[in-house]
Amino acid sequence: MSGLEVHGLSKAFGGLRAVAGVSLTAEPGRVLGLFGPNGAGKTTVFNLIAGALRPDKGRVLLDGHDITRLPAYRRAQRGLARTFQVVKPLNELTVMDNVMVPLAHQRLRRLLPLHRYRTPAREQRARALLEQVGLLEQADAPAGALPLGMKKRLEVARALALEPKVLLLDEPLAGLSLQDARLVLDVVHAAREAAAVVLIEHNVRLAMAACDRAVVMEAGAVIAAGVPDEVKRDPKVITAYLGKEGADA
Amino acid sequence: MDWSVIGYLGLEGLVVGSIYALTALGLALVYGLLRVLHVAHAGVYAVGAYCGWIAFDLSHSLALALAAGAGGAVVLGVFLDAWFYRPLAGKPPLIPLIGSIGLFLAAGDLLRIVFGPYQHSLPAMNATPVVTIAGVGITATQVFVLAGTAVLLLAVYWVSARTRLGLAWRSIAQDREIAAAMGIDIPRHTALAFALASALAGVAGVMVGVYYNQIAPTMGNEPAYKTLAIVVLGGLGNVWGTVAAGLLLGVVESVSGAFAGNYFPPQAVAFLALILVLLFRPQGLFGR
Amino acid sequence: MYYLTLATLLLIYATLALSLNLITGLAGQVTLGHAAFFGIGAYVLAFLIAHGVDFWLALAAAGAAAGATGLALGAISLRLREDFLAIATIAINFVVVALFLYLPFFGGAFGMSDIAGPFGALGTLLSTAVLFLLALALHESVRASDLGLALIALRESEQAAEALGVNVKRFKVTAFSLGTAMAGVAGGLYAAYVGVIHPHDFGFPLSVTLLAMVAIGGMGTLWGPVLGAVVLGGFAQAFAFIHNYQAVLFGLLLALVMRYRPQGLLGRRA
Repeated sequence: MSGLEVHGLSKAFGGLRAVAGVSLTAEPGRVLGLFGPNGAGKTTVFNLIAGALRPDKGRVLLDGHDITRLPAYRRAQRGLARTFQVVKPLNELTVMDNVMVPLAHQRLRRLLPLHRYRTPAREQRARALLEQVGLLEQADAPAGALPLGMKKRLEVARALALEPKVLLLDEPLAGLSLQDARLVLDVVHAAREAAAVVLIEHNVRLAMAACDRAVVMEAGAVIAAGVPDEVKRDPKVITAYLGKEGADA
Repeated sequence: MDWSVIGYLGLEGLVVGSIYALTALGLALVYGLLRVLHVAHAGVYAVGAYCGWIAFDLSHSLALALAAGAGGAVVLGVFLDAWFYRPLAGKPPLIPLIGSIGLFLAAGDLLRIVFGPYQHSLPAMNATPVVTIAGVGITATQVFVLAGTAVLLLAVYWVSARTRLGLAWRSIAQDREIAAAMGIDIPRHTALAFALASALAGVAGVMVGVYYNQIAPTMGNEPAYKTLAIVVLGGLGNVWGTVAAGLLLGVVESVSGAFAGNYFPPQAVAFLALILVLLFRPQGLFGR
Repeated sequence: MYYLTLATLLLIYATLALSLNLITGLAGQVTLGHAAFFGIGAYVLAFLIAHGVDFWLALAAAGAAAGATGLALGAISLRLREDFLAIATIAINFVVVALFLYLPFFGGAFGMSDIAGPFGALGTLLSTAVLFLLALALHESVRASDLGLALIALRESEQAAEALGVNVKRFKVTAFSLGTAMAGVAGGLYAAYVGVIHPHDFGFPLSVTLLAMVAIGGMGTLWGPVLGAVVLGGFAQAFAFIHNYQAVLFGLLLALVMRYRPQGLLGRRA
């Protein structure tokens, strides 16, 4: 099956069970929303899927291949892209070079890869990506100098540079103005054609509208899954959010 | 096996270890708050020793020497925090580390230039045997160091575990952002930490001067290297782990020095131990 | 004649500073024990020459030996967090010097002497100049390459780099091996240049000086480390009368530059 499959993922830190038997699937062409109150384990699930953490139990499959044992960088090379909740721009590099990094790192075979990283083909691709997220003008600016909204867009552009089959977006809209948020959502929408998108988002109203399916977590486990409209009304979900956002949505 | 020899070595080791513990404790405290290795701390230690020596030379009072040692060290330490470390707060830690090494080198050399390259004596106490336990003679100077260290460690424990100051320090060390969000005045608490750390180092310096009856401008060199090793063994930032590591190293050095003879230069034991420990426990003996 | 030998020494320092820059400036890995690899190169060459090995072969072996040890350091660096690594590198420096001191075939405290390269002063100067130019070329080639981009990326954020497909572990080890191998070759040439080497020539104080050259010149830049090498290497040699104040001036210089211009003389931005 193409896309992402996660079976029975579990992770405990000391005595704390951060993720307990989480399973989900994400197909190309669809956006899966991962929701839940703070501390539910959403980012930990992402870290497990992306390979930043090793699970205690469970499997992760990408396009049918078991990638559970693969290190994070190999998963990225195979098309599993992710962004971070707290943005991690490569500060001293320019915006353009930030996007070049994933473009330059598809399977390097030589012991000392000393060929120049700036090739015309890569530059063209990088420009196209930057244009897509509206950062073309900032191409030569150091990434560290950008305001938050632009940094978040850069995260997305970098992830897209991996030509992802699966795109994990961790709170891509947090801290963004409405305008920036719309821009990002447009990009996400465009990306879903080729990729399976999984989105963690706190702004439930905005995000639920963008998702085709939703999964809700609480205290490390999945408490509801299905079509957004149904999930929103699930009483367990409403209680999990302490009524506030559930009532809003 | 002559147990009195072991006892003697162990005692010597504890004395040396106590000095290590007092000095390294301050380093660990500062590291916990700043995440920077305050190498210049060994310079503060040496300056404290010299202040104590001057005070003793003028007053012939050990108490005054200790006070002056602590005082001089505190002035320097707090100055370094305000002038050097605080403005470099956001920078990559390599920057203050390099600068700190420079400060340490400058301090040692400055002491040499001002006071001369030769040793001075600090004859505040004689190493007269005071009591004998299980065939091991304990001298007055040993009692001085051990008792002094015990008192100081107890005081630090009390401050750290029982006062709001200690609580604030532990909060900042755990999570700086949250501590600030809870209203903790981080610069002020950091300055206080530097003050305490420096005071301990200054006292340790005077103790060394009294114990070995010797003050020299190079006296900071060995502690500079060793306290770094001790702080890592202790788990980098784990204050009590550092104390334990310091005491342990003192004893290990003493025992191995007697049996392995002069095969190794003095710093080598500390660093060899460090490498061995890191091979099996990359987080240090007591690190998380 | 004096200027000839001074120029040779400065070229060696500049090459060394560039080699350190690969590890600390580009890849961001703190190493406070770089002098050890310089020393390994020097001792390996001295040892091989004493046993009749051809000079150029010995030089290559010097680089290889240092690079292999650097590879081990790189592997160690994967297990240790930043500050642990910094102190571990100091420890390694001490242990290597202790090995030079106590392994019988290295001559002990007397070191090794009568190390002769195949040429005289002018020839040595020319070969160090060639080495320096090669180092410069390699450094620039790395910086503009996929390798360099990977190193800078992992320096800025290991997590982000990993998520973007960079094999962080492999590139860290590559940086260490490359930088230490270069230092080893510089060490071999140094041994031939100076003729006599002692264990303490390669101790922690030299490592600090090298790091200072890179930091004061401008970490990560091309000419920064070179400038740092010339300034710090030259200043002690050229002004013999300050010899008595060398340590305090050096220390203050270090502290003041880090405090007031942390990006170094040629570094960008503060």
